[in-house]
Order: sequence, then structure tokens, then C-alpha cells
Amino acid sequence: MLDTDSLVVHLRNSIREQHLQQKCESLRTSRRKGGDRGGEGGGGRGGRDEEGPESEDSTDSIHDTVTKKLLLQHNMLLSLPFEITRFSSLVSLDLSNNNLTHVNDFLLQLPDLQALYLQNNNLADDGLPKELHTLTKLRELNLSGNKLTRVLPQLCEVVGLRYLYLGGNEITEILPEIKALQSLQVLHLGGNLLETVPDELGELHQLAALILCDNRLRSLPRVISNLTRLRSLLLHKNNLCCLPVCIVKLRGLAELSLRDNPLVTRFVNSCAREIMYNTPSLLELAARVIKLKKLPYTSEDLPRNLVHYLSSGQRCVNPKCKGMYFTSCVEHIKFVDFCGMYRLPLMHYLCSSRCSSKTPDYYRALSESDSEEDEPAARMKRVLLG
Amino acid sequence: METSALPQINTLDDLIGELYKVFDGDEVNVDYVNYLMSSYKSNPLDWKKFAKFDRYRYTRNLIDEGNGKFNLMLLCWGASHTSTIHDHADAHCFMKLLAGSLQEVRFEWPAEEGNRTDRSEEDQDRLMVEIGRGEMKVNDVCYINDSLGLHRVENPSHSENAVSLHLYCPPFSSCSIFDERTGKRSKCPVTFWSKFGERVDLKKPKSCCD
Repeated sequence: MLDTDSLVVHLRNSIREQHLQQKCESLRTSRRKGGDRGGEGGGGRGGRDEEGPESEDSTDSIHDTVTKKLLLQHNMLLSLPFEITRFSSLVSLDLSNNNLTHVNDFLLQLPDLQALYLQNNNLADDGLPKELHTLTKLRELNLSGNKLTRVLPQLCEVVGLRYLYLGGNEITEILPEIKALQSLQVLHLGGNLLETVPDELGELHQLAALILCDNRLRSLPRVISNLTRLRSLLLHKNNLCCLPVCIVKLRGLAELSLRDNPLVTRFVNSCAREIMYNTPSLLELAARVIKLKKLPYTSEDLPRNLVHYLSSGQRCVNPKCKGMYFTSCVEHIKFVDFCGMYRLPLMHYLCSSRCSSKTPDYYRALSESDSEEDEPAARMKRVLLG
Repeated sequence: METSALPQINTLDDLIGELYKVFDGDEVNVDYVNYLMSSYKSNPLDWKKFAKFDRYRYTRNLIDEGNGKFNLMLLCWGASHTSTIHDHADAHCFMKLLAGSLQEVRFEWPAEEGNRTDRSEEDQDRLMVEIGRGEMKVNDVCYINDSLGLHRVENPSHSENAVSLHLYCPPFSSCSIFDERTGKRSKCPVTFWSKFGERVDLKKPKSCCD
């Protein structure tokens, strides 16, 4: 187990050895090829190779340009030694399970760094370099098991990031700036203190895994259904009562965990019907009839605010009902089978509290074909049971 | 057993060697197998080559096929990875934690699905019943079979990987998985991420249990 000082000694020795090896290699090659410089990996900086490796001065300026991975996990490092920057071709740096309270800015001098592992250290919000975006090749960053309280702004600037692990911190908010991480495939935020997540999460279109388990989430934004590439959604151990109905759009979802949430009970369901309904206004009723009977109108016939109102109508989710509603609807929680494996309580909006599959408010004749407008209803029909 | 001294299990290969001897006969001495699994002290140098992780879910990596009598495999769990609730297809299952931490939650078998024609919304009545849970430490061994119930295994850490060693006898290629809220049972094939240290090329490894 190394502390920072011991590590410095080890690194210096390693760089010196690597340099010697390269010197021998290039000498051998030059003998063979009559002075031609061969060998892989380059020979360090500029004319450095001509200098003798024994002198202390040269040791400070030679680089190891061969080593790609540095494994320094499970040590007792309190800080990073500057010697790290001598490994100028480093692609992967593992500093997990140490005692780091901060990561020095000189880490940014590793231009080829693609993966940085910092899990299980003591990093707080001010412990990371501010200009993290200078690591343009960074694809994977693991900051789990630290003391972060937010998804830091500098993280949102590393736009090439594919895998971001922030589990087991004390994070209470996700900045909307996160939408800049357009290449993100895995976002791990399990074991934090999140009560909500921003709509901007729905813009991370490459996301395949979203881990939000063990937080304090009360609801999920509807835009989660925009994450068409999502394969894994871990929501267990939160405060969710139900899910937005559009979640059934996530056809690629292979893994959905919902346990340890106060998901809706029978009692709450019957209560909801009474409490949530507000009597429709005359405006609403008139609009419903216009839409139901498909009465033609143009923007010249009506004032702009009415045209806008009419276009804000929503389809009643009951597939047997062709009714629409505007502002007056009933929040109804229905259990829905999903992918043959899960039964989810989903928040539906029905056009009235009487509307049900047996007695729809606005009966749709069986002969009416499914137009494009009817697509969402048709999809719900496939998914609803009985 | 004869009065000879109990074998020394220093490496994973030692363990495998002893397992072959134990499973040579038809009877399985559960206590003795438990002892063997416990005696082996986890050494990453032994099993590193089987430890292949996936970002999305835990992986099953076959170590030894035990002449068809048993399967020995390494399971690799990323942070927060969980299994479904599953049975063990009438087989013995021994599980040993080699690195990190794992939590096991045991459940009663749900009531038979018989008369469930009316799928109403009152699913609360069919919630699966937990009968116990335990946190495993490195080198702990636990045993389960269908008569003891069903279980779910999960990596409770959000920042650390876990690795476990699993022994099944006889080997099985499919089992049942259960929805915790309804007890609904489905069949699920069981596949390997890698075999003998080599990644298996499958179109879509949809296995849900360990």
C-alpha cells in the first residue's frame, strides 16, 4: 500500500527503466539499420534520448510515452504526484480506493486520457479540476463513492463522455446542463439524494442505462419516454407512486426495477377518482363536441386563442372511447402489463370519471379504422389487459 | 468419510479437484461441499481470468463443467446490479463471495396461479413474502435449493464491483423467475457470458438469474 511519497519513488524508477529500455531498443535498431531511428512508441521528447540516463537533471524531463495504463488502486494516496504527468501517453488511470481529497489540475496534462477511475475516495465538489473539458478524449469517468453534492458543471462540459458513474455520493440535484452530454450511454446515479430529475435527461438520446435506484424520487418526467435506446432503467428504492403512462413507449427496455417504492394501492386508486375530477366548463364541452364531430374550422373562423385551445386537446386513453379532453380530466391509475413481465401502475387521463372500457363516454364504432391520430390509443390497446 | 485428514484447499484448482472427487458418486453431502467451498480463501490471482464484467447487468462466467455433474461459475456484478427473484430448477446451489459485497433476500414460493382469471387491480394481495435476508462478507458461503424457497441476489454497493463463485449440481439451463409484486412466474433460459475464460458470442444473452 503506497502513500504519495512512496509512489513518487516508484514512478520515477519506472520512468527511468522505461527510458533505458527504449534507449537500448533504439541503439539495437540503429546498429542494425545503420543509424536509422526505428522502434515503436517514439523515444521520448526531442533530443532527450541522447542524454545519459544517470544524471538527475535528465530524469526530471524524460517522459514515458509507452505506458498506456496506470493501475494505482487500493493504495493510501492523499494526492496525485506530479510525476503522473510524465506518462504522457496514458489512456487509462485507475486511482480508485485511495484517500484523495482533490485531483490536481496537472492531471489535465494527460491529453490522451480516455478512462479515469476515481471511485471510493474523499472527493468533494471542489476536489476536481474546473477545466475538465480539456481532456477531450475522456470517455469514461467514475466518481462513485465520494462526497459530491451535485453533478458538477465541469462534468457537463466533457461532451465526449460515454460512461458517467456517480453512484454513492450525496447528490441532490442534476444540472440541466447535463443535456450537453449527447454521447452518454450509461448514467449511474444510484445511492444519492435526488428528489427529482430534470426534463433535460430526456435529451440524452444515446442513453442505454439509467440508474436512479436508492434515491428519493417522487416522480419521473414524461420525457423519459424519449430515451428510445434505454435498455436498463433501475428505479428501485425510491418514493414513486406511479409512472408516466408514456413509459410503455420504451420498447427496448429489458430491465426495469420498481421494488421498494410506495406504488399505488387499491385504496389510493378509488380515492383518486373522487378528488381529481374538476367539472368541465362550457368552453371545454363545446371544444369536445367540435373535436368529436370533426367539425371543420380554420384560423380565419376563430380567434387565435380558441384555435390554440382546440389544438391542445388530448385523446382519452381508453381505447374504446374516442373522446377528447382539454383541461378537465380524471387522473386514474391503472395497472398495465409491460413486456409480459411487469405490472406497472400508470397514471392515465380519462375524459370523465364514468369512462371505462365497458362503457366508454364516446363510443367508437368497431368499423372505424385506426387513423394516424389513433396510434397512441391502438398501442395502449395492445398493452392493456382485458 | 474415512479417517484421513480433510483436504487442504489453497487454490481454486484445489477446490475444483476436490469437487470432482465429491461428485463422483450419486449422493451429494451438502455439509461437506459447504466445507470445501468455505475452506477456499478468495485469491484474485486464481479467478481474475474469468472475471469479465458487463456495464448493463451481471455476468455468468463458466469455470468448469464438472463432467456434467456440476457447473462451477464466476458471477461478476457491477455497482447496483441485481438478479430477478428465481428458483433453482431442483438443483443444489452454493454461493461464495469472492470480492465486494452481496445481499441475498429470500422469498416464499407464491401461491399457485390456478384461478387467476380475474386480473383485477388488487395486486397487493399477491405480493411475494420475504422470509429473510443477509449481507455476505468475502469468503462467506450460502446454500439454497427449491425446498428452502426462492431468492434475489444484489450488489448493494453503488461504487464497488462484486464477484461470487457459484456451484450448481446438477447443472441446469433454464429456471423460473418471479415478479415480486404479483408472484407471476415465467420461464427463463440461463446463458453464459464467457466459458473457460473466453467470451461467448451470443446474439442476445437474455438470462435473468444466477
